[in-house]
Amino acid sequence: MTLRVNGTAHRLAVPRDTRLLYVLRNDLALNGPKFGCGLGECGACTVLLDGAAARSCSIPVGACEGREVTTLEGLTADGTAQGAPGPVQRAFIAEQAAQCGYCLNGMIMATEALLRRHPRPDEAQIRAALSHNLCRCGTHVEILRAARRAADERG
Amino acid sequence: MTESPPTRQGLLERPGTLLITRSAAAPDPHAPPPPAGAAEPPTSSATAGSNRDGEPDIYVAVLDDGSVLGFNGHVDLGTGIRTALAQIVAEELDVALDRVTMVLGDTERAPNQGATIASETIQITAEPLRRAAAQARWLLLGEAAARLGAPVEALAVEDGTVRVAEDPARRIDYAALLHGRALRAELDGAAPLKPVAAYRVVGQPVPRVDIPAKATGAFSYVHDLRVPGMLHGRVVRPPYLGHDGGDFVGRSLLSVDESSVAHIDGLVAVVTIGDFVGVVATREENADRAMRALRVEWKPFAPTVDLRDIDRALRLNPSTRRVLADTGDVDQALAGAAKSLRRSYAWPYQMHASIGPSCAVADHAPGRLVVWSGTQNPHVLRGDLARLLGMGEHEVEVVRLEAAGCYGRNCADDVSGDAALLSRAVGRPVRVQLTREQEHAWEPKGAAQLCDVAGGLDAEGGLAAYDFTVRYPSNLAPMLPLLLTGVVPPVPATVQMGDRTAIPPYDYKAMRVVCEDMPPLVRAAWLRGVSALPNSFAHECFIDELAVEAGADPVEFRLRHLPDRRAADLVRAVAERAKWEPRTGARLRGEGDILRGQGFAYALYVHSKFPGFGAAWAAWVAEVEVNRRTGEVTVGRITVGQDTGQMINPAGVRHQVHGNVVQATSRALKERVTFDERSLVSSREWGGYPIMTFREVPEIDVLLMPRQSEPPLGGGESASVPGAAAIANAIYDATGVRFRSPPFTADVILAGLDDAAPTPPAPPRRRRWLGALAGIGTALATAGAGLLGLHAAIPPAAPPGPDVYSATLIERGRLLAAAGDCAVCHTAPGGVAYAGGHALETPFGTVFGTNLTPDVETGIGAWSFAAFQRAMREGISRDGRNLYPAFPYTSFTRMTDADLLALYAYLMSRPAVRNVPPETKLAFPYGIRPLLAGWNLLFHRPGAQEPDPSRSAEWNRGNYLVNALGHCGACHTPRNALGAERRGAYLAGGEAEGWDAPAFGTLAAAPVPWTERSLFDYLRTGHSPEHGVAAGPMAPVVAELTQLPDADIRAMAHYLASLGGAPDPAAAALRAREVEAAAWRDLGGDASPGARLFQGACGACHHDGNGPAVLGAHVSMPLNTSIHAARPDNLIRVILDGIQNPARDALGHMPGFRDSLSDAQVAELAAFLRRRFAPDRPAWEGVEAVAARLR
Repeated sequence: MTLRVNGTAHRLAVPRDTRLLYVLRNDLALNGPKFGCGLGECGACTVLLDGAAARSCSIPVGACEGREVTTLEGLTADGTAQGAPGPVQRAFIAEQAAQCGYCLNGMIMATEALLRRHPRPDEAQIRAALSHNLCRCGTHVEILRAARRAADERG
Repeated sequence: MTESPPTRQGLLERPGTLLITRSAAAPDPHAPPPPAGAAEPPTSSATAGSNRDGEPDIYVAVLDDGSVLGFNGHVDLGTGIRTALAQIVAEELDVALDRVTMVLGDTERAPNQGATIASETIQITAEPLRRAAAQARWLLLGEAAARLGAPVEALAVEDGTVRVAEDPARRIDYAALLHGRALRAELDGAAPLKPVAAYRVVGQPVPRVDIPAKATGAFSYVHDLRVPGMLHGRVVRPPYLGHDGGDFVGRSLLSVDESSVAHIDGLVAVVTIGDFVGVVATREENADRAMRALRVEWKPFAPTVDLRDIDRALRLNPSTRRVLADTGDVDQALAGAAKSLRRSYAWPYQMHASIGPSCAVADHAPGRLVVWSGTQNPHVLRGDLARLLGMGEHEVEVVRLEAAGCYGRNCADDVSGDAALLSRAVGRPVRVQLTREQEHAWEPKGAAQLCDVAGGLDAEGGLAAYDFTVRYPSNLAPMLPLLLTGVVPPVPATVQMGDRTAIPPYDYKAMRVVCEDMPPLVRAAWLRGVSALPNSFAHECFIDELAVEAGADPVEFRLRHLPDRRAADLVRAVAERAKWEPRTGARLRGEGDILRGQGFAYALYVHSKFPGFGAAWAAWVAEVEVNRRTGEVTVGRITVGQDTGQMINPAGVRHQVHGNVVQATSRALKERVTFDERSLVSSREWGGYPIMTFREVPEIDVLLMPRQSEPPLGGGESASVPGAAAIANAIYDATGVRFRSPPFTADVILAGLDDAAPTPPAPPRRRRWLGALAGIGTALATAGAGLLGLHAAIPPAAPPGPDVYSATLIERGRLLAAAGDCAVCHTAPGGVAYAGGHALETPFGTVFGTNLTPDVETGIGAWSFAAFQRAMREGISRDGRNLYPAFPYTSFTRMTDADLLALYAYLMSRPAVRNVPPETKLAFPYGIRPLLAGWNLLFHRPGAQEPDPSRSAEWNRGNYLVNALGHCGACHTPRNALGAERRGAYLAGGEAEGWDAPAFGTLAAAPVPWTERSLFDYLRTGHSPEHGVAAGPMAPVVAELTQLPDADIRAMAHYLASLGGAPDPAAAALRAREVEAAAWRDLGGDASPGARLFQGACGACHHDGNGPAVLGAHVSMPLNTSIHAARPDNLIRVILDGIQNPARDALGHMPGFRDSLSDAQVAELAAFLRRRFAPDRPAWEGVEAVAARLR
């Protein structure tokens, strides 16, 4: 099958019911999306599918054919992990919005998806969009500030 | 992080290097008093000596390329100490921060400074690092003085360049000084340290060095590591979830059936050692599949203690009494007190709850093991791994990589052992990641704790007596593979760790403090704040009660009895910052249902071996709202102060305080590990163990005390310690009720406010239809006995050639096949379309779909059109045998001859596939095919359907599609005892492959009637916003229907809507909105376990619209048919297995919770959904048994 990720088409010989997350991490060596629960509960695996937030731990790769997958790496200037951080990533770095950072992928991707739908979200919309992305370190204050900063800089 | 820093050996051999080292024998002149007793967790007192070739430890390396390496045995658990330690090195060495790279924990690089615990990295283990950096600078200055011909006192350093202060042109940098040299010095602590006043880097808020890479997805974590030739492993843990002590541990495995996973692609090995079971495969998803598919038999597990009643379990657990303090005569003081109180404070089991389940990679070869791990204690882990594999410690290397934050001992070490065992078994590198369920179930829990307090006031309101006893069932949680393989006997050790902060900070005249040391009840180890947090909860709630008894303001009362001046300064500063409102008792303020309160608490976190030493001081003012109707507690604002002494990176300290406030609030309000009736951990995902979400985050105001000239203190945990007490005291201020057992969930608050007891669940009941089945068999046998009949075979015919039927006819047949969903029953999962093999579960047994491809021997290639026509109209196979009515010829008989021909033409045009599906074998008497002749006589009305001239063409088309082709009634009409569609009950709700096929029209259970529009949406897209998505056997039906044109789908919708009286779409839409709005009201106040499961496990996708917009259909719960159905079966099937094959990918995929939720939890969740979203329907009964049956 063919999978489009971060603007590049990849030919893959993998079973179609393999979860998208495993393919991104193990076949395409993309470390942005993380395995957290495998149940769509925590959001650590969030990617964009045609621009909408999606939980890659629960989606079979076969269902992504013909769609555009965007990972954390895809938000940088050159679409790789080594590229210059994109606007939402810059906002998270500026606000130092990570402790261990394992959930950071989900927070950035959920914020990116939110801003694509609502370029000027209010506080309640930000909290609602992130309400099922879990952080255990308690970085919530910094993450909310980062999302706000990303929205303000975009607006 | 893509390039590994040089090893100790590499640096010792590297020219152009200055190393500050400490050899094995040298004691650390600056270490704190070492903890006595072998049971204590290893701390920073550990020294070198375990290095492979007896090399000295290296603390600082200055290289001739201008870079600096700093080494510390403690690791960064996400707290940012990597950055703070680099600041210390940069400061003392006078180099820019970005020249410094910290190397943390690796056994071949960093010194052994023990486990990263007790927030002591900055306070304790950074000390030799700081001195080493100072010594390096001192040595380099000496070298520079000689080279520049100036005395050291005349030199100044800036970013590694040494200048003569009076003559800046005379200069040389560190790199040049080191060219071709190999300088080495033993750390002696003699070099002068920089005065605080001269600090330029330490004390400045600096950005963390690791965050940019984490924000772009660059390699950062052990989870991200891939080494050449790496395989993927998973482990299968024993059924005694969370228990690591007792005879059964390591001795419960009966058998492993390797044939159960033989079919899995790329399976490399199944590994069994004692109770350790693991699988290895080439791909991660296949290792995961093998883990789930592997059939393992275990001995039954017999619990010895009921962990659902923790208080009782703690009181019954054998213990050793240890008196920590005994001053004055407490008993006499209590007896003579003017006022006395006796209180018990019970803390629940809680989790570290790391967001990423633990992961490790191991590479084993004879005599050499390398493990990449997220461990807290690489050097301790090295010893455990050596023991596990029977290797020398020097043969084992642990490379420490970052992992998800752990806040204590999680499964990081366990999974390192797992990976080592699997790598040894297969001789290749193996990466193992635990599942969410394994991490939740098996992580060593933060222990439950019980504090009994008796205290009294004298006649003047002074603190007369304090009698405190703590029970804390925890130890160091030996690495699990050591126990599972039997290398270490599963005898629970007792360690002395319940004493942290057991001495209250207040000046009681007579005081007795006792620790009842006890072994664990369930696997437990240290969690942030260790026993100090629950001990402080007791101290700080109790002093609050005493203040009320004394008629004093709680803050003023504390200050009256708090001898520690820095503590008192902090208490005053925080009270002032928070605008503390003095009071003498609960104020019960608020309006309507909402009560408001403000509470205070203070603690100095005293940790390590008793009497231990203090980290930072912390104090909280919590402001809460309590909804007295729902019991919901909302923490609106926290003012928190901390005295950390000198702050290396104030930004890092502030961030840690935020993190502690959020986590401690989460623990106080939400967190409790649950246990099932066998005392097994039943919190196995985030619904069963909810943590704080963004909606609940309070406003946090941080006050950092300015103490830069004081020594630095640990700040990783302190701010957590007073949290729960401040919240409890605020709830008291709001409600006048004391809550002494967190978490303060809505049900706990309501019970406290109402003093009401929970009602026991109803006993389960057996299903009705099981008994009825026997009767059906008898009836069938009786009815059929006299009606035996045989039919003639129709001779085989040559398949029609490719040119016999026109493309137009074949295309028409293709659409008819789609409308008839032929492929659904005649295609095996993952098999070739129409080649048969699908297993159709019926009440009479499993019927297998036959091969409909034109293969002469195994398909219908030898069937003439006449044979096909007879089969479709009469249910008789070409060879004369009766077909089972699972094949809906009772519907197909209504098709027109023209359509039958088109369908035949289409099937015959497809490629022939040789495939013999499994033979259908029904239990007696259903397997006797000739009986079906009698059945047909009774129930079958052959013949094509005539249009109804009084109806529109669209209605007639719909009727034809629904009844002749679509055979909707085959599933949606109830069947009688003999398996025939019941007359007079058309589309009144039936069964399909164990799923309920809901009723249509006026009999539908849906809260909103099915309109033509909603039927069209559902059949066209698989989703009606007013009803739900197609799941189970309906999903492939809708998928087939996608081939039909809109006009046909509209005709079906038109016809079906007419059965329900064609309800008005506007009225239905209005009704849907009303139902939605009512259903979600006050959900946050629903305190039931089912509600919490729903929020945590389901809420990301299923919410009222005000939540994350996650890809897929927004499936409304209040309108969902399965929640309104008479039976819970469909709902439970979806909960267990999710929706793996939706009608269309755009609807989204739902994960199954089979391995994550117990039957009891599924029942709680289903009961909640029914109660909340179908309030006018009766509660389902026996739901837990249904879950057990469907599992």
